[in-house]
Amino acid sequence: MERWQLIAGLILAYLAVTLGIGLMAGRRASRSVTGYVAGDRRFGLLVMYFVTGATVFSAFAFLGGPGWAYSRGAAAFYILSYGALGIAPWYFIGPRAAALGRRFGYVTQAQLLVGRFPSRFLSALMAALSVAAFVPYVTLQMQGAGIVIEAVTDGHVPLAVGAAIAYGIVALYVLTSGVAAVGWTNTFQGIFMVAIAWSLGIYLPIRLYGGVGEMFERILAERPEMLSVPGLTAAGDPWSWGGYSSAILVSAIGLMMWPHLFMKAFTARDDRTLRRTVVLFPTFQLFLIPVFLIGFAGVLLPESPPGADFILPFLILRSELPVLVVGLFCAGALSASMSTGDALLHAAASVTVEDGVGPFRRLSDAAQRRLMRILVLVVGVVAYWFALDEDSSLVVLLLSAYGIICQFAPPICAALFWRRATTPGIVAGLVAGSATAVFFFTTGYLGMELRPLDLHEGILGLMVHIPVLVGVSLATRPQDRDHTEAFLNPRASAETGASSGAAPASERIQRDTHGR
Amino acid sequence: MNGVKLVRAGATIYFVLFLVFVTWPGFVPFNRPLPLVLGLPFNMAAIGLWVGLGAVVLFVLDRSEERNRERGPGRNSRNGGAA
Repeated sequence: MERWQLIAGLILAYLAVTLGIGLMAGRRASRSVTGYVAGDRRFGLLVMYFVTGATVFSAFAFLGGPGWAYSRGAAAFYILSYGALGIAPWYFIGPRAAALGRRFGYVTQAQLLVGRFPSRFLSALMAALSVAAFVPYVTLQMQGAGIVIEAVTDGHVPLAVGAAIAYGIVALYVLTSGVAAVGWTNTFQGIFMVAIAWSLGIYLPIRLYGGVGEMFERILAERPEMLSVPGLTAAGDPWSWGGYSSAILVSAIGLMMWPHLFMKAFTARDDRTLRRTVVLFPTFQLFLIPVFLIGFAGVLLPESPPGADFILPFLILRSELPVLVVGLFCAGALSASMSTGDALLHAAASVTVEDGVGPFRRLSDAAQRRLMRILVLVVGVVAYWFALDEDSSLVVLLLSAYGIICQFAPPICAALFWRRATTPGIVAGLVAGSATAVFFFTTGYLGMELRPLDLHEGILGLMVHIPVLVGVSLATRPQDRDHTEAFLNPRASAETGASSGAAPASERIQRDTHGR
Repeated sequence: MNGVKLVRAGATIYFVLFLVFVTWPGFVPFNRPLPLVLGLPFNMAAIGLWVGLGAVVLFVLDRSEERNRERGPGRNSRNGGAA
């Protein structure tokens, strides 16, 4: 038996275990839509922790992280900087969103927004923007899975086949089990990724340079520009401070606005679990340090991989590790890809049905679940189609997706914290902000660099978004006080509502959201 | 200002400083590779320290909020919005 066949066998065994866990989890979940989308709201701490961690750390972190450290040096430090910053506000926002979710039965981000700002256009716009942002993200994950499988099997299993196998399995367990499968497989995959990253991150520098410190001393002597922030651009020129700083800012703001992460607030068993996940999250973040070490280990090698993102598999194969280690690494990288990809597919389908179709057409529970399953397949096939085109500049598309996603932050904050925000203000702000981000992305893509100070288009979008949101809100009629109270002070208004018979506000909200 | 609010304010200040000191211009004084800290370049270790201490700050915040909740459903446990 040849080496690559042994590795392929190990990967198949790993995939079989993942599939088994995914299918088993589904047998415990209820058959309702809440069961499929929000996992019956009963995820415990261990599952929540790894769901969040494994979902955030995608193939981008596992392959792109070392790829960035390898080709762009200290520029990669931005990835280490934003996670903890992005999740900290969630300590207070998460439980508040969860309380509203339990009270009014929300399962998506847009339902929360539309509950406070009734508008079917807003709902459809959120759905369209979310799905547009999801497709390149899923594509990136699929390519990641394909790259790993192709590299490690010496090209015997090409990217297209590898991606199809990995994502066929993901589709199978997402289709049958919904979010319960995503939770349990991510727990398994999350533990796996952390173990693999730390052992390789320490092992490779020791094996190639004799130690982590020795490695950096040599890089400093031969390529000092790699160790100075803001590092390099993809082309190898020095990156700008504006680009580096605004990348941190836009990612921190956008991080928890990704619908698949935001929806985790609705799957938590209780507020306690949600808060603890936030507290533990930075520990997961530190896992990027070994990931960077892997990338830096490749900097001084005389040969180079076919692309920067191949650096991890390239190093693995070059260091002639035992078959078992190579197989396990491959499984770790697949975990990273699949654990994000499954959550993305699931969220894209849920969002389209709940927010894109739900407000316009009444569907039965069974019809909704059926439609979601069809959409999981549709999104998967579209993303797969893009994944086959190896020249598509996906990292560019993904960064632009962040530009759109971070536009969800002002409406969400306004819904939960600003009494004076109005529906026209929210819609105008979201349209203006997204249009600005898309404008600067498109002009940049066409070769016209119009962005001042090299700022990320998402930040430029927010600079237009927030004034428009505030201005239009102040110029339009304020919302009914009973109505805003239910969102700004959920518990207090629930208590007074029950005792004084002032319940109509919350009943009306429930009707607006569900009584289509 | 009672204990809970003090901790909340502290946590908020910590994360604001975190943002200031990992972006331009706050990061500039820390942006050098030497001395190596645990084998890592100084600038990378500095960011790692902000992240690690961030976990400690969130843990302290959580303890304080938890104690506050146990003391009964007081007004302080609502109006979050810090950080």
